[in-house]
Amino acid sequence: MSTPSAIPVLTTEHLTLRGYRETDFYPFAAFAASERSRFVGGPQTRDEAWRSFMAAIGHWALRGYGMWVVEHRESQKVVGRVGVILNDGWHEPELGWHIYDGFEGKGYAYEACVAARRYAAEHYDITPLMSYIDPANTRSIRLAERLGCHFERDVEVRGKPCQLWRHPGVEGMA
Amino acid sequence: MTLTLDIPRLETPRLILRAPAPGDIDAYVAFLTDPERSWGFGTEPDRPKAWRWFAMNIGHWALHGYGYFTLELKETGEPCGISGIWNPEGWPEPEVGWVVFDGFEGKGLAFEAATRAREWAYTDLGMTTLTSNIVPGNDRSVALAERMGAWFERSYHNVNMGEDMLYRHPGPAALGLGSDDDGSPEAYA
Repeated sequence: MSTPSAIPVLTTEHLTLRGYRETDFYPFAAFAASERSRFVGGPQTRDEAWRSFMAAIGHWALRGYGMWVVEHRESQKVVGRVGVILNDGWHEPELGWHIYDGFEGKGYAYEACVAARRYAAEHYDITPLMSYIDPANTRSIRLAERLGCHFERDVEVRGKPCQLWRHPGVEGMA
Repeated sequence: MTLTLDIPRLETPRLILRAPAPGDIDAYVAFLTDPERSWGFGTEPDRPKAWRWFAMNIGHWALHGYGYFTLELKETGEPCGISGIWNPEGWPEPEVGWVVFDGFEGKGLAFEAATRAREWAYTDLGMTTLTSNIVPGNDRSVALAERMGAWFERSYHNVNMGEDMLYRHPGPAALGLGSDDDGSPEAYA
């Protein structure tokens, strides 16, 4: 068995949002081991990262939606993950993103988020979405602003304070 | 569930081994967050982490083609435990694992389930050897492994559990499951 086939494939100008392959674990584990993952629950050891990676696949089965693997179409390199997450204990479904080392600054997160957000509204009827953002994560705040989000309130997620940013509804989307 | 995974449904006299279903989550959470019951398996600190474990097992099925089944008691339809083949990152090799939930122990259900899961791994997955990883002090699991014909092979450091004992199960031939049964002395009694 390989990638669960029911994960839809979305195509944007530069990117493909798709389901999971076993080899997608390696760039994810490298990201999860690095300081870059500090805003998304990391850094994680390799076996913790594996558990997170597998849980992300199971999330699709349990919720019917989840995080896509984001692949750069031209190079076929995996550049990160974007999608909708509703882990147990979350306030509501979240639009989440992380871009791996070496691929940031090219607008890939924005491009993938726009596609994922629209798909979630049209196919899962999840709109308007929110995103959890650590107040120290200035890059993510800039991206949220570019995506038309606004700060809504301070919340706690699993005992950790963070900000809840609200995305525009369908009419306000890019 | 939206994703359709190819998880078989196996039977024993008293049990159905089947795909984990969303309705099982509460039973898993109760087990995984109870340190007294789950210390030998891996305790999760809270419901969100136990939920993540539940999702992880489904992902394990999706990528490996095997994982932990939910054990359903035929008589009542209740989920009563977990058994199957487990091989997460960092594991020495695939293992047969088993657990029974609170209130279902002492009836031989784990033996029944684990024996069926092992048979499935040998005959349907084509595995040629299997292990069970048992934390030192988990005497009940050692007794069950030995009842299944497994023997202590070595101690090692498990990424998740720390010091761990690796038990080796008899192979398919010794269990009479392969075509070339060699009648070796570890044959299943």
